Amino acid sequence: MKITFPHMGSPLIYTKLFELLGHEVIVPPKPTQKTINLGVKYSPEFACFPLKVLLGTYLEAIEMGADTIVSSGGNGPCRAGYYGEVHQRLIRNMGLDIDFIIFDELKRDYKGFINKLKKLKGQHSWFDLYKIVKTAYKMAVSTDKVKKFIEHKRPYISDKKKLNKVKLAIEDQYREIKTEQDIVRVEEYAFKILKGLDIEEKTGAEKLKIGIVGEIYVVMESGINFNLAELLNDFGVEVEMSHYISEWIQENLIPFVSHEKEIMKKAEDYIETIIGGHAKQNVGHIVDYKERGFDGIVHLKPFGCLPELVTQSILDKISDDLDLPILSLSIDEQMATANVMTRIEAFIDMIKQKKYKRSSDHERHVFGY
Amino acid sequence: MKIGVPRALLYYYYFPFWESFFNNLGCELVVSDKTSEVLINRGIKNSVSEICVPIKVYIGHVFNLLDKGVDYIYVPRFISIKKNITFCPKFLGLPDMIRNSLQGVEGKILSNYIEARSDDISNYKNYLGFMDKLGVSRSTLKNAAKKARKVWLNFREKSRQGLFIDQILNDRIITGASNNEITIGVVGYVYNVYDQFISMDFIDRLREMKVNVLTFEMLETKKIEEQVGKFAKKMFWEFTNKLLGAGYHFIHSPQVDGIIHITAFGCGPDSILGPFLDTEAEAFNKPLMRLRIDEQTGESHLITRIEAFTDMIRAKKEEEEGGSFR
Repeated sequence: MKITFPHMGSPLIYTKLFELLGHEVIVPPKPTQKTINLGVKYSPEFACFPLKVLLGTYLEAIEMGADTIVSSGGNGPCRAGYYGEVHQRLIRNMGLDIDFIIFDELKRDYKGFINKLKKLKGQHSWFDLYKIVKTAYKMAVSTDKVKKFIEHKRPYISDKKKLNKVKLAIEDQYREIKTEQDIVRVEEYAFKILKGLDIEEKTGAEKLKIGIVGEIYVVMESGINFNLAELLNDFGVEVEMSHYISEWIQENLIPFVSHEKEIMKKAEDYIETIIGGHAKQNVGHIVDYKERGFDGIVHLKPFGCLPELVTQSILDKISDDLDLPILSLSIDEQMATANVMTRIEAFIDMIKQKKYKRSSDHERHVFGY
Repeated sequence: MKIGVPRALLYYYYFPFWESFFNNLGCELVVSDKTSEVLINRGIKNSVSEICVPIKVYIGHVFNLLDKGVDYIYVPRFISIKKNITFCPKFLGLPDMIRNSLQGVEGKILSNYIEARSDDISNYKNYLGFMDKLGVSRSTLKNAAKKARKVWLNFREKSRQGLFIDQILNDRIITGASNNEITIGVVGYVYNVYDQFISMDFIDRLREMKVNVLTFEMLETKKIEEQVGKFAKKMFWEFTNKLLGAGYHFIHSPQVDGIIHITAFGCGPDSILGPFLDTEAEAFNKPLMRLRIDEQTGESHLITRIEAFTDMIRAKKEEEEGGSFR
């Protein structure tokens, strides 16, 4: 089996997982304009953007020799849970003989789920499989910790070239991991060199924090969101995202553990029930970011995204209620960098002024001038 | 008490139920006007640009009801009418959207969760919240639901006998002969097919062109489910599954000569349904045309396309029938 999978965020974790299971892995390329064009060409026009990009990604990986696609299913009502079925149909219609292994919820098809695991684990024992999955999960947690650290500190690191070098060096180390112990060692190494960088943190009114919320794929895949986190960082803004791969695993694959309940509760005034995708979580995150003193929110959604359109409909109200600026961006194959850059820049200027005004009002109030 | 019901979305499937139910609760029912350009434009102005047309239409109707001075506007939250199948996210979030994005609706929304095991939504437990809001007793509620159920079942039966929903709702007499040369299966949601403004009366136009028209609600549920049952993983959305089943049934039925899939701009579930219908129709060599309607569609364009499609089907049929003895 030559396995490939969706490129969403860092492909490091899945690559490691399948490598440790002894498979040949075709690492899917990071989505580029070519990927997008390829996906758009063979997808239904009104399919959502992630479906198109993922199809493009699969086709590129197939060209590189992949013969098996591993992905996750879902229960809806958002379309993403049905991607597997649609992709299979589209790819088979193109006359390509590709094996799909799609993991749906255990309770949907218990026997099928086990059979798929058996196929993937090959000669390994169930205990080995458990250990390997656990290692991959620990690695996801660890890399996300590093990622979050960089998203917080990057705006204050003047030597960006050096930071990029350090990032690559850290990634290389993660790539070599074999056991859980290795992860601890690599993480220590990562934080040691990251903290060794020249970091000049800003404080008070100078410090700006933006939360990124939205549909999980466009939030996590920097290849199609114009590298938004770094873009904001370059404007001197700290960012935090509502989705990290380790958290997705926690919520979706580990039974009985949920950190989202609290976040979801915060959304209840606006969205009463789960309406699919991460709409409710995202609204909860907006409220949470406000409570934690963030200065603004960027909301990302693929064009026409069903659940996020409900969110978008009520963003004005949320923004008014919370006195929190929110910029909503819709991403599709026709989005141009210049457009995004201009809007982001204007948005940052706006929240800077708002913050400056607030702090000078505060000073006037305190010092009486 | 005046209760407003928007003439949009599931109005076309559940209105007889709502009418009987609210009347039996002692409420006066007010239905919004028919969709018009003015009405739809208010919907467009007050909704996010990318949302599907039926939702924009719905929002227009909500404003129309506000003008009429109703006490409440009934905006149900349809969660599920079949095990493990839900409605499209926009239906699930509809009351949230209406409540949090429109000016002047505050305190005027009457909403409830609809969760049922079948199309029959008459279980009074779904409406318990109305007791306080409308000041009715439990037994009144129960009774009204029971009566409404009968009315609604009767309405569904008429559909299955081959009447179009707008004919039943408006007591309209069927025009055009029923024994026409060709039959077309129309695959589309009730709120797109029967909103005369949105669909530009395309069913009437088909009939004028001497076409028999079949729609999903005319089929026995069993026939639809038979087809949907072939899928290992059903689509997540209730009415999309109905269309999938109906579409497959039409494709396989020798009595149906062609299929028109009518879909609204921005419809998410239909973008998934589309490829499934396309590939099946192609495999069985059944002509399929997709009509995409939006708030700007021009009438002449619609007529031209329908004419071309029916001409093509007629030609194909003649050739096939002629071919057998040539």
